[in-house]
Amino acid sequence: MFWRARWNPSGKHVYITGGSSGLGLELAKLLSARGAHISIVARDPERLKSALLDIQAVRLSDTQIVQGFSYSLLTAEESAKALDAAIAAFNNETPDAAFLCAGRSMPRFFVEHTEEELRDGMDYGYWVQAWSAWVLARRMVAQRRKGHITFVSSMLGLMTVPGYASYAPAKHALRGLADTLRCEFLLYGIDVHIFFPPTMFTRSYEEEGKTKPALTKRIEEADGGLTPDVAAAALFKGFIRGQTHITADIITDMFRASTRGSAPGHYWVLDSLLDGVAHIAAPIWSMLTDSRVKAHREEHSRYLEDAGLLDEQL
Amino acid sequence: MISALTIFALVTSTLLLTMGWSLFSGKKWDPSGRHCYITGGSTGMGLALAILLTKKGADVSIVARNKEQLEKALAQMEAARVTPNQVLRSYSFSLDTFDAAKKALEMACEPHGGETPEAVFLCAGKATPGFFVEETEESMKKGMDNTYWLAAWSAKAASQRMIRTRTHGKIVFVSSVLGYMSMLGYSTYSPGKHAIRGLAETLRQEFLMYSIDVHIYFPATIYSPGYEEENKTKPKLLLKLEESDEGVTPEQAALGLYKGLQRGDFHVTDTFITDVFRTTARGSTPFGGNILKDVLYGFVGSIALVFWRRDVDKQVVGHREAHEEYLTSTGVLPPPSK
Repeated sequence: MFWRARWNPSGKHVYITGGSSGLGLELAKLLSARGAHISIVARDPERLKSALLDIQAVRLSDTQIVQGFSYSLLTAEESAKALDAAIAAFNNETPDAAFLCAGRSMPRFFVEHTEEELRDGMDYGYWVQAWSAWVLARRMVAQRRKGHITFVSSMLGLMTVPGYASYAPAKHALRGLADTLRCEFLLYGIDVHIFFPPTMFTRSYEEEGKTKPALTKRIEEADGGLTPDVAAAALFKGFIRGQTHITADIITDMFRASTRGSAPGHYWVLDSLLDGVAHIAAPIWSMLTDSRVKAHREEHSRYLEDAGLLDEQL
Repeated sequence: MISALTIFALVTSTLLLTMGWSLFSGKKWDPSGRHCYITGGSTGMGLALAILLTKKGADVSIVARNKEQLEKALAQMEAARVTPNQVLRSYSFSLDTFDAAKKALEMACEPHGGETPEAVFLCAGKATPGFFVEETEESMKKGMDNTYWLAAWSAKAASQRMIRTRTHGKIVFVSSVLGYMSMLGYSTYSPGKHAIRGLAETLRQEFLMYSIDVHIYFPATIYSPGYEEENKTKPKLLLKLEESDEGVTPEQAALGLYKGLQRGDFHVTDTFITDVFRTTARGSTPFGGNILKDVLYGFVGSIALVFWRRDVDKQVVGHREAHEEYLTSTGVLPPPSK
């Protein structure tokens, strides 16, 4: 019998963007508790400080390096500086695994979105991870080092809901990038993964709620969600199993199976069963959602008029 | 008696399923007399679409950058004119900002008494395949501009105008089979094409509030001038992987899209391969007109694509050494220290 030795965090250097809160922080703690060296990158220095304390508190030994860096990651330059800062303590060698958890969303109807908000959506949903991946890949290839790059997309990278016109495109784009790189990086022995979490109850989620349209909230009402620690555990599980597309809940898994196309799936029989369920469940969900949207027309029309969005300036 | 009825019922329902629900849906979309606005309308599929719609009696405005190509395109549209009243125009704009998209649209509305076009076709875009580690910051940004932003800005300009003027129009996006899947070489193209899918799906739902129809076309290879450009810089390995891919002419693509619009399809695919990818990547997208076909294709595809991907992967792995030599020769890789 052959099986690959499971990836063991102990002694490995893990690089986590968006590592000071939510999913990134929980993942950092999980890996620290399993012996990894942790580098986290985020913007807010205060949150970084408190996150580092949390991560250090659970490490197995104080020979484990736990460090944090404040960078915005929205540009290639920032992303390169962040990575270089992190690897300085490791003889400038690239990390063994990178988890790109940075990102946030601002739900709003497309007609209301400003140009800036649409650009921000792509910056905070796609570029914030794409630049890091680019910098990492170039360094890893130049150093001839193998390793793992993990993107964090969303259920909204596999399907979509009204109100996410600035976010779903970015999350779909991450999937396009991950699937391209999974194939391309066979040239280098670098593994690519992408995580599709459902709603996660984090600080970002609360921020989102401030602009989220009432219709979107109603549609999402019945959806559950996960706490970030549960999501992090699922991400880690899928990662060490070597899965390309990773999910943390059965609904998203159903969408993963039914959109997989030529991407690597999990077990074919299980995926086909999930896909079979999707054949029935997804159209029902879609029809229900469509009728909710249509029922919202009048209210929305009044709202647009009141907000002056139907005026000439539009 | 009962078994005959049962057989009759089974046969009828199977026939209904295979013929599709479109038999019972409303009138087919007729472009005659309607103002159709086409970005990327001076070459390739956009031009073929412009000519097709002109022949059907539509008023057509094409937008692109190159003035010379626009002139030639307009001449071809004129030659296809079917009534003396048709308004056929061309406009030179680069559509990569929201401002430009709005300006271009406003100009196109002028000959129509300020009325909003009833159908907007977002064909502008191009691909520049390459290896990720060789991309630059500029090439990555341009890749997203040339796939996603070209579509998104015009979609926003058009939809806002349609909403404001209460025009029940159509917005037609053009993605790609690389919006359903991806492979080596397309790191600056596939993300944008996936993003277009994400946008179109969201807008299909939101625009139910404004009675604006959304459609999205997923072609594979189109033998257009754009495709020839692409192949000049495409990595050799990718050319090899795509060797046996069949393509369509821009005229075939335009016709395939047009027929899909007539059927009322949301996702429009018009070849076997793109049908297979559509049905194996369906997710929350509504079924096409023929549910039985979708289910069958999806099932067969879920098996066949596994073998296809494994074969591609094998070829990529087999190319490792050659690729290492290539990267060393271009300086991306330092020479191996022995």
